[in-house]
Amino acid sequence: MAEARFAVFLVLPTLVAIFVVVLFPLAYSLWLSFTDVNLLRTTGPAIELFGVRVPLFRWIGVANYVRILDDPLYWSSLWRTLYFVGAFVLEATVVGMGMALVLHERFHGRPLLRSLLLVPWSLSRVVVGLLWIGILDFEFGVLNGVLTRVGVIDHYISFLRDGFTALNVLVSVYMWNQAPFASLLFLAGLQSISLDLYSAAEVDGAGYWQRFRYVTLPALRPIVFLVLVLATVNGFLMLDLIYVLTMGGPGNDTTTLSWLGFQTTFAYFKFGPGTAILYTLTALCLLLTFVYHRLILASFEPEA
Amino acid sequence: MAIVAAERSYRGGRYRARSLGSRVVLYGLIVVVALWLVGPFVWLFVTSVSYQRNLLARPLALIPPEVTVDNYKMILGLIRFHAEGQASKILPSMLNSLIVALLVTALNLAIGTTAGYAYARFRFPLKTLSLFALLFTRMLPTVVLIPAFFLMLRAAGLQNTLTGLVVAYCSFTLPFTVWIMKAYFETVPAELDKSALVDGCNRFQAYAHIVLPVSGPGLMAGGAFTFMLCWNEFIVAQVLNTKPGTTTLPPVIAGMNGQINIDYSVIAASGFLGALPAVLLVLIFQKYLVQGLTAGSVKG
Repeated sequence: MAEARFAVFLVLPTLVAIFVVVLFPLAYSLWLSFTDVNLLRTTGPAIELFGVRVPLFRWIGVANYVRILDDPLYWSSLWRTLYFVGAFVLEATVVGMGMALVLHERFHGRPLLRSLLLVPWSLSRVVVGLLWIGILDFEFGVLNGVLTRVGVIDHYISFLRDGFTALNVLVSVYMWNQAPFASLLFLAGLQSISLDLYSAAEVDGAGYWQRFRYVTLPALRPIVFLVLVLATVNGFLMLDLIYVLTMGGPGNDTTTLSWLGFQTTFAYFKFGPGTAILYTLTALCLLLTFVYHRLILASFEPEA
Repeated sequence: MAIVAAERSYRGGRYRARSLGSRVVLYGLIVVVALWLVGPFVWLFVTSVSYQRNLLARPLALIPPEVTVDNYKMILGLIRFHAEGQASKILPSMLNSLIVALLVTALNLAIGTTAGYAYARFRFPLKTLSLFALLFTRMLPTVVLIPAFFLMLRAAGLQNTLTGLVVAYCSFTLPFTVWIMKAYFETVPAELDKSALVDGCNRFQAYAHIVLPVSGPGLMAGGAFTFMLCWNEFIVAQVLNTKPGTTTLPPVIAGMNGQINIDYSVIAASGFLGALPAVLLVLIFQKYLVQGLTAGSVKG
């Protein structure tokens, strides 16, 4: 009993903090999505949280949701988001796995190369965006410079002018930033696979790809699950790169749901519809986590 | 015995008798991975020590014909230039970034560590539920919280203050810190605390004087990761702290990028300077960071 009381004493500050900075804002955002938020009139009903009067605004039911679902831009942004997340998850997982497989081999300089994995990942997304502008820009981008020099193109290309190209550029730039973390997880997983399994497979005459398919991949299943979940959440979240690279444009061609929700809330100050958009995004995200869990971990647990 | 022999032959086959062809492929892939990982960051540095006119030259020289530190002098206020108004915000905002990141890190280590210890060691009411809540927070798109933060901090009068940012940043750092520390404390043998109790320590002393001093690697992992996340955060700072002088570095750099009259080489210098602290920190603490993050994630 004394032990339990001591433990509660230890976790209490964290749980209070999580309540104040995560659970309460989460519930409050949900509430906001059902209200008419007028930033100039905050005198109405309110709830007190540690002495702070948090305004509740006027309840208008599902009106915000009706309004956003009525907007064609919402639906086109949703499809774009799904494309973005799908392409990003695929690229981050495949490239992350590929880099991990290379870094798992033994070669001179491996520790150094493993450290370099941390470089793209430790940069602020603002810097990631800037740095890729330096590579992709149509006046001073180094990629244009190199491609011109080797004769692939005869004039500089604007990679962000065509909408669909710009969307794919965002996917790849984000992947550059995030795939190294997937590699770190995969590497940790690879190192924990028993060498006996490989030698047994080799005795059975399995080549590199067969060993990968029948030994490595099944053993990495929980980590694949983790990488898929993290990449999905991060894909849905992505905002900062859009801000730096495209601002949702050209037109609305790189407007994803998170960007639409963000702009609706903070550029047009429509908090009700904005939070409604962000909430549908959250629901989608959690739904996918649940699906992954069923698909990958459930089919794996009976064997383990 | 057979297994041992098989393993040895496997290792032999793998490391010694790699054919010339597969060696060429491997080293080719290594070069590609290395270029992919650091090439862009190196190019950022190259542009930051170049003159814009050389970046615009056709054909483009990959090795800059002239090297200059003028871009850095401009953003540090040592050379006057037409956009010095925006550039002069860099150093103060860097100080703000430092204050916020250090405060959040200290707060995380103070309360997240004790929580991680409790989750690793004790059974108590609501343990499973609260752990699930923490895990759930990690799976949550935190962008959905920003409108609520905006209104809550506005109501509390903390908009445009560093305190407001510190509070908001705990939402995405604290769950990670708890998770990393929990995974770390699980590797510290429980006998250590038990023998401290036998030696007459109370439970808190056992934690603070015996367990905490051997928890350096976990603390460094949690601390470096928290610091990095805060130093790099952009959207929350951009939205919450709009008043001049109250914001952190990433919004200021993004602001420079938004001004069309600033040369890219100058923006690159500010980006490189801004990125350097986090990159160095991560590289210095990489061993602990990789251990902490993979242990916390692979298990969780």
